[in-house]
Amino acid sequence: MIRRKYKAVVIGGSAGSFSVVSKMLSQLREDFPLPIIICLHRLKHIRSGLVESIRLKSKLDVIEPDDKQQIVAGKVYLAPSNYHLFVEYDGSFSLSTEKPLNHSRPSIDHTLSSAAYVYRNKLIGIVLTGANKDGAKGMKDIADKKGITIIQDPKTCEVDTMPKSVARLITPDYVYSPDEIVNYLNHLVG
Amino acid sequence: MDFKHYLHVLKENTPYDFSNYSDNSIKRRLQKVIADNGLTADQLLEKTQCDKVFVEGLVEQITVNTTELFRDPELWPAYYDKLYPALKAKKSFNIWHAGCSTGMEVYSNMIILNELGLLDKARIYATDISNNMVRQCQKGSYRYAFNKQQLDNFAAVIKKAPINGVSRIDFAKYFDIDEQEDRLQVKDFLRKKVQVKRHDLVKEQMPFYNKFDVIFCRNVLIYFNAALQSKVYQVFHKQLFPKGMMILGNHESLTGFYKTKFSKNGAVYAKSNAFQFQYQ
Repeated sequence: MIRRKYKAVVIGGSAGSFSVVSKMLSQLREDFPLPIIICLHRLKHIRSGLVESIRLKSKLDVIEPDDKQQIVAGKVYLAPSNYHLFVEYDGSFSLSTEKPLNHSRPSIDHTLSSAAYVYRNKLIGIVLTGANKDGAKGMKDIADKKGITIIQDPKTCEVDTMPKSVARLITPDYVYSPDEIVNYLNHLVG
Repeated sequence: MDFKHYLHVLKENTPYDFSNYSDNSIKRRLQKVIADNGLTADQLLEKTQCDKVFVEGLVEQITVNTTELFRDPELWPAYYDKLYPALKAKKSFNIWHAGCSTGMEVYSNMIILNELGLLDKARIYATDISNNMVRQCQKGSYRYAFNKQQLDNFAAVIKKAPINGVSRIDFAKYFDIDEQEDRLQVKDFLRKKVQVKRHDLVKEQMPFYNKFDVIFCRNVLIYFNAALQSKVYQVFHKQLFPKGMMILGNHESLTGFYKTKFSKNGAVYAKSNAFQFQYQ
């Protein structure tokens, strides 16, 4: 049993990650003690509906946060369509419509890096299946701050470019299948 | 690089005050400026204090100028559910686009007003902190290929959700389209109707004497810290006519005191004095 010493979980994913996230949220314990911050790439022409679909299966409350909204434990936050999502030092979110990064808005690097600076070694970063390299630099920032880094096992990915890009920059702490990720998170508290 | 110190120097030596922008965001923007221009922290400080042209360019690079034609297309029918009856009942009305960027939203809104038969009654004002954006807004010239998708998206939305009966817009009435030159040029009758002025929401007195029926300020205040946001909401509240309406970005919301001074109706915030606090 791992003692609880983390403050947040941050997850990035792209192609193929919707079903992985959906499944993970349906299997996480109801009393999950940390905020979960998720940044998923969306198809440009389908901007709405993602949060509704993720909500269907999640046991935890799923929110697309507004600018300056406070981050609360046990909630799931999904980066809203067409905004970058940042974690601020006062424990709130901020949104931005700056240029796309890695062709993406929201960009996983932005969310992960900002969370790394705020939560430092008390952050768990997870990168799932995806077809580009967004998220790799963010995971490096998490590793540099001594946070925990987990990538989805490329063998279980629909597209493995994203986790592999992370593995090229850093050696992740864990390489897990989606089930193993859920298992790891569910055992964060006894 | 000490960002707080830098912002202080900028404030003391130039007309620009970014000291109440949200920390993370201004830090990230400044880091990008330093990297993009290949400057050291000292060079940046020096240029800021004595190079006016550099400072104008800097403001450009710090501020975010993202805008789209009919941005968030599905929200426009929702806005006009509230706006149309109120505007139709008036002899004339004033609309202010605060932080207008390149003007795409200004012209999008004017197109809808015209389709609804309301444009003649409208006085349209637009402001931005950047001189360059003011010029671009006045010019109303955009890239065609890049923006066509937005027009198509909006056309699809109003086909399904007409705005007071308007389910189709002939965009050729509003733009001269030159595919070869990749130009989408807003026609003069729209361009000449907008009063565009440079204005800094943070520092300056209002540039217009009149009050407003509608203020659009979408995805501008997200770069400010909470205290500065409140200050700007105070200005908006003061500048709106009773029952005047404010339109914010998709994921902006009022917090604290000003939450009680507007009533939220979907995506539209209406000025209300129903619940007044007395602060001494």
